[in-house]
Amino acid sequence: MSDGLRAFYGQIIALAIALALGALIIVLIDESPINVFMTLVRGAFGDQSKIAGTLLQTTPILICGIAACIGLRGGMFNVGIEGQLFLGGFAAAWVGFALPLPAGLHMVVGMAAAVLAGAAWVAIPAYFRARYNTNEVVSTILSNYVAVLLTSYFTIFLFKRPGGWSETPPILPTAYLPELFSFSRLNWGLIIGLALAFFVAWFFRQTAKGYSISMVGSAPKFAEYGGIDVKRQGFLVLLASGAVGGLAGGVETLGIHHRFMEGFAPGFGFDGLIAALLANGSPIITIFTALFFGALRNGSLLLETDTSASREIITVIQALIILSVSAQVLMKRRGDSTAGERRWKF
Amino acid sequence: MSDTSPAKRQETTSPAENAVELIDITKRFGAFVANERVNLRVKRGEIHAIIGENGAGKTTLMNILFGLLQPDEGRIVLNGRETIVTDPATAIDAGLGMVHQHFKLVPSLSVADNVFLGMEIRRNGLIDQAAQIEKTRELSERFGLKVEPQERVSLLSVGIEQRIEILKVLARGARTIILDEPTAVLTPQESRELFQTLRGFVADGMTVIFISHHLEEVMEVSDTVTVLRHGKHVATRPTAELTKDDLVRMMVGRNVSFDRRRRTKTAGEVVLDVKNLWARDERRLPALRDASFTVRAGEIVGIAGVAGNGQTELAEVLAGLRPASHGSAMLKGRDLTALTPAAIRDAGFAHVPGDRMVRGVDGSASISSNLLMGRQFKAPWSRNGVLDWDGVAKQAVEMIKRFDIRARGPEDTVKRLSGGNIQKVVLAREFTNDADFLLIDQPTRGVDIGAQESIHDEIMRQRAAGRAVLVISVQLDELLTLADRILVMFNGRIMGEVEGDSADSERIGMMMAGLNASAASEVAA
Repeated sequence: MSDGLRAFYGQIIALAIALALGALIIVLIDESPINVFMTLVRGAFGDQSKIAGTLLQTTPILICGIAACIGLRGGMFNVGIEGQLFLGGFAAAWVGFALPLPAGLHMVVGMAAAVLAGAAWVAIPAYFRARYNTNEVVSTILSNYVAVLLTSYFTIFLFKRPGGWSETPPILPTAYLPELFSFSRLNWGLIIGLALAFFVAWFFRQTAKGYSISMVGSAPKFAEYGGIDVKRQGFLVLLASGAVGGLAGGVETLGIHHRFMEGFAPGFGFDGLIAALLANGSPIITIFTALFFGALRNGSLLLETDTSASREIITVIQALIILSVSAQVLMKRRGDSTAGERRWKF
Repeated sequence: MSDTSPAKRQETTSPAENAVELIDITKRFGAFVANERVNLRVKRGEIHAIIGENGAGKTTLMNILFGLLQPDEGRIVLNGRETIVTDPATAIDAGLGMVHQHFKLVPSLSVADNVFLGMEIRRNGLIDQAAQIEKTRELSERFGLKVEPQERVSLLSVGIEQRIEILKVLARGARTIILDEPTAVLTPQESRELFQTLRGFVADGMTVIFISHHLEEVMEVSDTVTVLRHGKHVATRPTAELTKDDLVRMMVGRNVSFDRRRRTKTAGEVVLDVKNLWARDERRLPALRDASFTVRAGEIVGIAGVAGNGQTELAEVLAGLRPASHGSAMLKGRDLTALTPAAIRDAGFAHVPGDRMVRGVDGSASISSNLLMGRQFKAPWSRNGVLDWDGVAKQAVEMIKRFDIRARGPEDTVKRLSGGNIQKVVLAREFTNDADFLLIDQPTRGVDIGAQESIHDEIMRQRAAGRAVLVISVQLDELLTLADRILVMFNGRIMGEVEGDSADSERIGMMMAGLNASAASEVAA
C-alpha cells in the first residue's frame, strides 16, 4: 500500500472512531444517534438555502484550512490563524468604512489590507522563529489572544458605531464582495477559497519554489544539504500562511457582515486547522474536510429544534475528531522513530 | 535455534567459569550475513573487548546476546546454563546489562528517577523519592560513579549521562555489563574515568564486555580481545600477548585481497585547496584542527580514520553546512567557507553525505523527487519556476537504468529501497551534476557487497572523467581499493599522507590510532 493511501485510510478510520464515540455519547443522553445524524444531514443539505448556508460556513473554514496547509507543507505549525483572521477582518472593515474608493477597487484594496494585516501579524512569531528558533506553535497560539483583544479594543474604544453594539460602522457598499445568489448571503468568498485551494495545490506540486518548501517541510536537513535556505523558507511560509488567514477575515467582513463585530468569527481559524490536519496538508482534500465541518456547523442549527440533543454535541464530535486524528499522528511518529533506529543498527 | 530442548533454561555440564558463551551464532538480514558462526567466550571477572571495523557484526552480536535480536542459528550459554534469550527481560534476569551507544534517558527527570525508571521503589502505591535517592547515592558511592541523585538529567554532560546509564544497569542487578562503543561520545578524560570504573567492576567479580574500534583503549583496558571481521570470528586472545599492529592486522585482514583498482596516473590541476582549516563540534570544542591538503582533477584522495575523528566536521565545512572557525577551502579559486550551500553547489561541488537517510534523501518522497533536489530551479528541470515532472521522470528512468537502481520505477518511495539502492539514488543525483569536485562520505556504509562494487566502479568512472574526488571512509579496505593518496585523520588532525599504490594498512592503522607518520613507519618497519 502506498504511503499516501495508508495515510488516507488512517484519517478515515480516525474519523469513523470519532463518529462512533460521538454516537455513544448521544446514546448516553437518551437520544438516537441515527436521528441526530439524520437531522444534521437535513440541516446541512436539506434544501437549497440550507446548502447555501453550509457553503457559507464552509468558506472561512476552507480559507483558514488553506492557510494551515501552507504552513504544514512547509513544516510550520501556524496555530495563530484565528488571530490573523481577526486582524484581517478588522483591516478590511476599516478600509471599507474609512477609506472611500471607487466600486471594485475599494473591495480589492480592502482584501489587500486583510492579506497584509494577516501577514504582518504572523511576522512577529515568524521573525522570532527564524532568528531565535522559538517554537512557532506556542508564539502563534499566544498571538491569538492578543489579536482578539486588540481588535476588540479598536472596535470599542476607537471605531465604535454610535449605539449599543460592539461593532464598527458599516462598510460602504463599494467594498462589498458580490453575492452569488439572490436567496443567500453566499458570495465570491467561496470562489476565492476554491480557486486558492487549486492554486496552492498546483504551486506545491508544479513549481520549483513549492517543491523547495515541501522539502523543507518533510526533510529539513536534506533541504539544507540541497542548498535551500531553510530559515528563510520557514519565515516566508509563515508569512504566506498568515496572509491567507488574514484573507479569510477579509472575506468574512466584506462578504457577510459588512462591518467588524467583536468576536465575529468564533473558531473558524481552529476549524480550518483541523480540516487541514485531517486532509494531511492537501488543499484539495481540505475542500472536502472544510465542507464536512461547515455542514456540521450549519446542520447543528436544526438539532435544537428537531431533537433533544444540544447543538454543543457538535463541539463534542469535533473534539473527538481532534483527539483521534492526533492520536493517529502520534502513533505514526512512534512507528517512524523505531524504524529509523532499526535501519542503522545491525 | 538448533537446540531441540523445549525448556527455556537447561542445566549443562560446562563449568560456570564463563559468564557468557555464544556458540556458532549466525544472523542474516536478507542476503546480508551479519554474523556467521561466531563464537564468543567471556570468562567471569574479565574485561573482554570486541573489536572490528564498522559493519563487522559487533553490535549485531551484542544485540543477540541481549535478546534484542534472535539468532538464525547457534546457542547462548549464560553462567553455564543454556538460555534462549527471547527478550531483554530474560537477559536482565540472567544478570546481563547493556549500555547502548545512544543513551535512553528522560531529560526532564532527575538522576534517581531515571535510574529507577520502570522499577520504581514504591511506598503506599506512590513513588518513594527518598528511598530512590538514597539507593542511587548508595550505588553511586559503592561503584565510584559520582552523580548527584536529585539533579535533572537535561543539565548534565554526556559523560555523566553515561554514568547514569551504567547505574541503571547496576540497579537492575547486572553482573555482566555490555558497553557498546562507550567512549565514542566521551572526552579523553571521561574515557579514563570510565576505565577506572570498569576495573573496579572486575575487581568486584563482575564481568565487562565492551565494543570498540579504538585500538588504544582496547590495549589499555581489556584483558582479552575478540576480533570480528566481515561478520566472522577471527581470534580471541589475551590482550597482553598482542601488539597494536597485531590488532590492526586481524581487524583489517592481512590476506584480504584489496583488489586495488587499476589506473593510469592522470592527476591534473589542483581543484580543491584546503589550507589550515579549523572547525568546532556541537559542544563548541575544536573537532577539525588545522587541516591542509589538495585534491587534483582526475585524482581520488581518501580520508581514513576511526569514526568521530573530525571527518564529519570536515565534510560539513566543505559543504557549507558548518561554519569554519579558521582557514580556507578554495574550489577553483572560490573560498567555500564564505559561501552558502546553494552557492557551493553552483561552484561545481557534488556531495554524497555520510548520513544518508537524514541528509542524502527524503525517504518519504519518490525517486524522481529525490533526484530533483538542488536543481529544481534550473533548466531543463524547470522553466520559469514551473517544474517539468514528465522530464524529471524521464531523467529518473534513465538514471535508474544507468546506476542500476533496483526499484519499481521513478515514482517508487525511496525508503522502500535497500540501503545500497538508496545510496545509488544519491550517487545518481550527485554524479550527474557535472561538478568538478565530488565529496563522497562513506560511499558504501550499510551497502551489500554487490552494490559496493558497482558504487566503486562509478567512483572510478568519475575519476576517469577528470573529476577531483575526495572519499571519506571508516573502512580502510575501501580507500585502499580506490584512493590515489590516503590522508589519515586522528583527533581532528591529518596525521600523515600515504601513496595509494604503496599503502600499507598497518602503517595507516598506526596513524589512525594517533601515531604520526614517521613514528608509524618505524613501528610498521
